[in-house]
Amino acid sequence: MSRHSLRARLARAVADDRVLQAVHLATWRKVEARAASFAQLPHAEELRRRAAQIRRHTLENLPRYLEQFAARVQAAGGQVHVACGAAAACRIICDLAVRRGLKLAVKSKSMTTEEVHLNAALEAAGLRVVETDLGEFIVQIDHDRPSHIITPIIHKDRRQVGTALARALGCRYTEDPAELTRLVRQHLRDVFRRCDLGITGANFGIAETGTLCLVTNEGNGRMTVTRPRVHVALLGIEKIIPRLIDLPVFLKLLARSSTGQPMGSYTTLVTGPRRPGEHDGPDELHVVLLDNGRSRILSGPAPEVLHCVRCGACLNACPVYRNIGGHAYESVYPGPIGSVLSPLLYGPQYEELPRLSSLCGACASACPVQIDLPALLVRLRARSRERQPLGKRLLLSGWAWLMRHPRLYALSQKLLRELLPDDGAGWARQVVGPLANWTSQRDLPRPAPGSFRELWKQELSDET
Amino acid sequence: MKRDARVKGDETNLSQFSAALARNRAAQGEMTPLPAREVSALRAVPPDADLVARFTQAARAAGCHVHCSGESECVAAITALLQAAGARRALVEPQPGTALPPERAAALIDALTTAGVAACQSYDDETLFAADASVTGVRLAVAETGTLVCVSGPASARAASLVPPLHVAIVSGSQIVPDLFDAFEHLGQAGSGTAAASCISFITGPSKTADIEGVLITGVHGPGQVHIVIVPN
Amino acid sequence: MDVALFVTCLTDTFYPRVGRATTLLLRHFGCRVHFPPEQTCCGQPAFNSGFHREAACLLRRMADVFRRYEHVVTPSASCATLVRRHGPELLEGTPAAAAARSLAANTREILTFLRDELHVDISGLLRLDEPVTFHYPCHARDAYTLDDLLGWLVGSGGRDVRVPRHPDLCCGFGGVFAVEYPELSAALLHDKLDELVATGAELVVCNEAACTLQMAGGARRRGLKLRFKHLAECLAESLGLLEPQA
Repeated sequence: MSRHSLRARLARAVADDRVLQAVHLATWRKVEARAASFAQLPHAEELRRRAAQIRRHTLENLPRYLEQFAARVQAAGGQVHVACGAAAACRIICDLAVRRGLKLAVKSKSMTTEEVHLNAALEAAGLRVVETDLGEFIVQIDHDRPSHIITPIIHKDRRQVGTALARALGCRYTEDPAELTRLVRQHLRDVFRRCDLGITGANFGIAETGTLCLVTNEGNGRMTVTRPRVHVALLGIEKIIPRLIDLPVFLKLLARSSTGQPMGSYTTLVTGPRRPGEHDGPDELHVVLLDNGRSRILSGPAPEVLHCVRCGACLNACPVYRNIGGHAYESVYPGPIGSVLSPLLYGPQYEELPRLSSLCGACASACPVQIDLPALLVRLRARSRERQPLGKRLLLSGWAWLMRHPRLYALSQKLLRELLPDDGAGWARQVVGPLANWTSQRDLPRPAPGSFRELWKQELSDET
Repeated sequence: MKRDARVKGDETNLSQFSAALARNRAAQGEMTPLPAREVSALRAVPPDADLVARFTQAARAAGCHVHCSGESECVAAITALLQAAGARRALVEPQPGTALPPERAAALIDALTTAGVAACQSYDDETLFAADASVTGVRLAVAETGTLVCVSGPASARAASLVPPLHVAIVSGSQIVPDLFDAFEHLGQAGSGTAAASCISFITGPSKTADIEGVLITGVHGPGQVHIVIVPN
Repeated sequence: MDVALFVTCLTDTFYPRVGRATTLLLRHFGCRVHFPPEQTCCGQPAFNSGFHREAACLLRRMADVFRRYEHVVTPSASCATLVRRHGPELLEGTPAAAAARSLAANTREILTFLRDELHVDISGLLRLDEPVTFHYPCHARDAYTLDDLLGWLVGSGGRDVRVPRHPDLCCGFGGVFAVEYPELSAALLHDKLDELVATGAELVVCNEAACTLQMAGGARRRGLKLRFKHLAECLAESLGLLEPQA
């Protein structure tokens, strides 16, 4: 966590016009693409319900499905490891890389590997690690952090990308996106030719068949599972789904929710390492199942958060995210889903995140698996009630007390009317006290000359 | 009463981990059933649709070039296509049971050679990374999304439809299934899919990204051009 | 039909005309309207902030205040949603559980009450003499849809209804959020106001007092010529029950 408080980060974020313009443009485009895409999907609501049901069922029976998944992976020739936490995951992966003398690792985009800080661990163990998703590659060479779980450099413009690339690759400066992409492709092609370790996450793990499903657009995922001799997939335990036939339910929803496409360019199903007679693919496949707090979340106040398929639709829909960008959250998981996941995975330092929401529900409407994020946010607020700011606790307790005394409440309405300054036209522009935070941003109308209850007593109650 | 489901210690043994999880899940008591396997009611494309037309429309929307060709013309069509694209070296991957069986592949290699396009069939890095194009068959195609399904095997390398910057896929009309659900039904059949193959690729359009300012760029790590040639039957 | 009016704290304090419009409409369509004077607040701000003890207390009190009435009508969809959706779960397992369920079943938002119980053709009766735009409040979802609202406004045609680019975009009020994170709330507000202004209409139909407080306050601060009305006010004016107000 940075030394800047959340409030300081928010103030900075809200004032950063360049980033905000980029985030506004990008998120609105995605929102509209998603809406258009869903309008064309028959049975969309039924598919969402079904996906949510599959998730719920699987989590209720997780031990059984994990066992089945592991058995099928092993039957297909893969190896399964279980990592209870981030440190264990890094140790398992570093150990197997070092023991095999692996030197150059390529990574397909994986939030789970960011969650456990795998790159740093591998580098400390002597490997070179290269991110191959275009956005993540730019993040890596620019020593930056991703700000969105699907489009990591939503906060960067082409000039920044051009500068970073020229500095890291020593090539001539360009800011043309096509040329920049070509330069990255050329550079990474060489890396793909020489790499010996491929690291991916997985969007889903299918218990019935021991299959990993990776959804990508660039082709780096396919390269990562094709070129190196060892493939390691790090998979959160909540990613398991029961049967092969369950996968298309999610696939029909995932890319539409993420980018508005009916399907991502590449959906790759990997079952075990290369088979005898096949021409390429890794000799070894290692699946590392990661807990890192997920089992604790299962028995906590918000288990539904584990239904998440990491599509990013909630980030795109969220007016708060749109106005502060991803960095302000200071978490691997930003946005609405991150506001629930971060405090649950990482603890109290993220406890304020659930309050960064107007509870508008745009996230829940966009969520392909119908996670009721506003309800989860409220649950987390309730859980941290005693640690909320003193001023707020006093305000709300005072409010609740006042609302139990109708005559005092009526009196307070009159007092407000008397005490609020009037600019001459019935509005207050600047007040002190608890309402100062209101008038710092907008005007406040003075309460009407008669409250409704006064109106009722004077005029309305006589008519029957 | 909820018990702490956190799995303590550094257990790396799956059955220990699962047992710990199960002990705590037993306290929850809710039971949500798994939906039945039957998914036909949720199809986006019915079986009686004009599958070639739907597939063509979806594939084009995804950024593919789609050509329909008669059985006897397709070799010439592909040759012309590759010439027009300026390809000088093409990887040709014959695969029995697809629309590029060994006989057609042999005819194509002849035609390409005559047209000045060097045709190769090996998968060593030199060949693979020097190829301008690849020509493969597919296992299936999906009308709903314009998707090609390629399954790895002794006659089908993962890299063939991935490394060369232009990919030509020959699809026969009878290989087109209506919906994603149908594709997975097919792959779920014994010996048909995941049990037999280590890698199944669903390919929908060219490789793409919009990471830089949302500008759509094709040809990132996979092919920037995908041509689909549909032959009848 | 006897109906109890739950006017809500914000409408009571800042927008009594909405309460008047609601009352007059109900009477016009044959109801006897009661106003239990002991009513105050449903507790929504406390509930949303996670102060569930306080929220439960206020809900319990409200169930008691309205216990004699089979129909409780409110001009605020968000308050109706709180009572209907969250009331029973807040008070589950307590002695007030039955009362909470009863209140939930009896409470309705005004427009849907008019449409569904009194069979009022809102869109047929509405007269709009100037271009109008609208805000679809986030918490109206449980009561009526965006299409419902659009249908009421557009009717069979002839009215100049300007649809904002994203009619359901949050105004940024969010309860205590508005004063706990004022700059953030204002950032959301600015996006919202930009969309309303872009329609070219000055009259904004907004059926939520909290949203109106936020948007009217923001519009005034920015010097924008936007005016806000609850659809109940518009309908009451159309029927001649209320003197038209700018």
